Amino acid sequence: MRAPSRLLGAAIGAVLALSVSGCGSSAPEGTGQVKLTLWHNSADPAALLEMYEKFEKQSGHTIELVSIPSDGFEDTTQTKWATGERPDILEYHATVSGLLALNPAENLRELTGEAYIARSGDLYQAAGAVNGKVYAAITGFPQVFGLYYNKKVFAEAGLTPPTTFAELSAACTGLKAAGVTPVFESGGSIWPVQILPILYLAGANQGNAYGKAIASHTSTLADAGSPFVAGLSAYAKLQADGCFNKDIVTAKFEDSMKALVTGKAAMVAQHSDMLPALLAAAGGDQKIVDESVGFAGLSSDKPLVTYAPGPIGTFYLPKTGDPAREKAALDFVRFMTGPAYAEYIAASKTFPVLKDVPGPQGVPSVLQDVKKAYDTGAVIAFNSDIPGMGGLAQLMSELIAGQKDPQKAATQLQGQVEQAAKAAGLPGW
Amino acid sequence: MRDMTRARAAWLPWALPAIVLVAVFFVAPFLLNVRFAFSSWTSFRAEITWNGLDNVRTLIDQDLLANAVTVTVLYAILCMAIQNAVSLSLALALQRTGRVNTVFRSAFFLPTLISPLAAGYIWRGLLAPDGAVNSFLGIEWAWLGEPATALVVVAFIDAWKWSGLITLVYIAGLNSIPKSLLESATVDGAGAWTRFRRVVFPMLAPALTFNVAVTLVGALSAYDVIAATTGGGPGDHTRALNVVMRQQWGQGFFGTASALGFTVTLLVIATAVPLVWWLRRREVTG
Repeated sequence: MRAPSRLLGAAIGAVLALSVSGCGSSAPEGTGQVKLTLWHNSADPAALLEMYEKFEKQSGHTIELVSIPSDGFEDTTQTKWATGERPDILEYHATVSGLLALNPAENLRELTGEAYIARSGDLYQAAGAVNGKVYAAITGFPQVFGLYYNKKVFAEAGLTPPTTFAELSAACTGLKAAGVTPVFESGGSIWPVQILPILYLAGANQGNAYGKAIASHTSTLADAGSPFVAGLSAYAKLQADGCFNKDIVTAKFEDSMKALVTGKAAMVAQHSDMLPALLAAAGGDQKIVDESVGFAGLSSDKPLVTYAPGPIGTFYLPKTGDPAREKAALDFVRFMTGPAYAEYIAASKTFPVLKDVPGPQGVPSVLQDVKKAYDTGAVIAFNSDIPGMGGLAQLMSELIAGQKDPQKAATQLQGQVEQAAKAAGLPGW
Repeated sequence: MRDMTRARAAWLPWALPAIVLVAVFFVAPFLLNVRFAFSSWTSFRAEITWNGLDNVRTLIDQDLLANAVTVTVLYAILCMAIQNAVSLSLALALQRTGRVNTVFRSAFFLPTLISPLAAGYIWRGLLAPDGAVNSFLGIEWAWLGEPATALVVVAFIDAWKWSGLITLVYIAGLNSIPKSLLESATVDGAGAWTRFRRVVFPMLAPALTFNVAVTLVGALSAYDVIAATTGGGPGDHTRALNVVMRQQWGQGFFGTASALGFTVTLLVIATAVPLVWWLRRREVTG
């Protein structure tokens, strides 16, 4: 028995030695410069990719980009994360629910006290932090959710874009009469169909009141007459009234952008980071987008936009145990939030989240609409701080297919929230 | 007794590579991982504790398990039936080796070489409501979006993907039938159908055992073609066990995901072992 076990030991030793030497990303000797691994969203805009290159040039470190497809971004990141693999820099969601799923206290380096936090207003009150400890460096303007609408279609139908669900219902009737698909929904991509119910809930979530009530377990999603059930019911009514495209189950979000730009559909519920997809649907012609597409807020009863800090430009520093790489990764965060940030804002034409950084010039008109709507009235997405809400999109698919009614869907989702909240050890559960 | 030992000693070296592969890549990971199906493993905390059957209870409470098992079993039966029916017909048509048949055999084998995800994406495009299939038929039908057709259509896509391989096994089986047997049957006055039913089909038993087992077991662990075509929809009509497993995993519920993986394994063992035993017995007695 001894010989085989010695052999096995040697074999395991050899495998370990190989794997350690293979994944070390160690520095070129004597230079103090290291290779950093960055898991990033494939939808990162060109301006952000340029910033990675600029950091390489300025610091002498190299960045190995590992692209995570934006379709299924959360699943893929979680899967890689669960294997124990850790990048030096992780681009991921800034929402508390997204952050909790990374088990931050165990896996992430705390960034509390970094200079950029004081320049970010109250951003880290609602995002990127757990129990008062900041883990994220948010550089991107929040994703702003609302209704993209085709200006020409509305003008021709003599209608104004809706800002409440009652107005949406009324507009639906008018647009159908004009032979246009009122709202284009993309169930084939699954995640977009949860946007309209989330928009509905902005009315009940001012000051994040509803989200906090669910997260602290003082209310449940399935309470009789709950805003969540009302939101799902409003969605089901729109579907029953024929307000959505016929191919709602199979259509992908790229189809929705195309339908909107071409005027086949009047409205699409989406977020502001979809502008590149909108531009692609217009054949890359910004003029077509500017002339045809506008953006407005919508909720149950008030003209509000919903925002959620997004993954694009939100960075975390996982604990890797390698001091040289950890230092370089922190340098990256300081670079992104330091003097170079103004360059990024100017190049990306997005709005800054750090104070004293001037806004961009030459912003496309649809993005100006987004900013205007955001400044007029913005409410954080109610699900931002609630763990376990990842199942909402799947339940919406069942609601659309008529397999679940709003109450049953709410009860099932509440079960998933309970499962996650208990696992995360949230107070109140 | 000594003869039996000697026979076993002669047999073992040939089986050893297969035994080692199965042990290292299937049995060992399975045994090492089975405990996670009964654990509270999530991405939300570092501790992993034993929680008995809580994961199964959670999956039942959330209406996920029963539907996923039903979809998986239905899908596996459909895939097995379609693939074997199509492949046996093709094998009978293409049995003789000739230039034309070789071209067709290659053509039917080609989809086997395509990645299942790529195959899924191609068919999703073709079967879209405004896709080529509907344009050709002059109808408007969401083949992958209607509960009535989604599961069957995905099973057909899976059959299209794998039938070439199954056909080759049947052709090999057909070509191993002694010609003298078929000639005797013909001399005895048996027609084509009788020859197939009484001679060809019984003699194909080993090929049938292999093909039925492979298609059924393969479809029980289906994921890729479903993910690329319907993603589990419409609603949960094509949400097989592995699709739910991936969704649970993606939400950080690793314990429930492991429980679903364990369910797939149980299902495969519970189906494959009796099935192969019965089919092998049929080979001897049939």
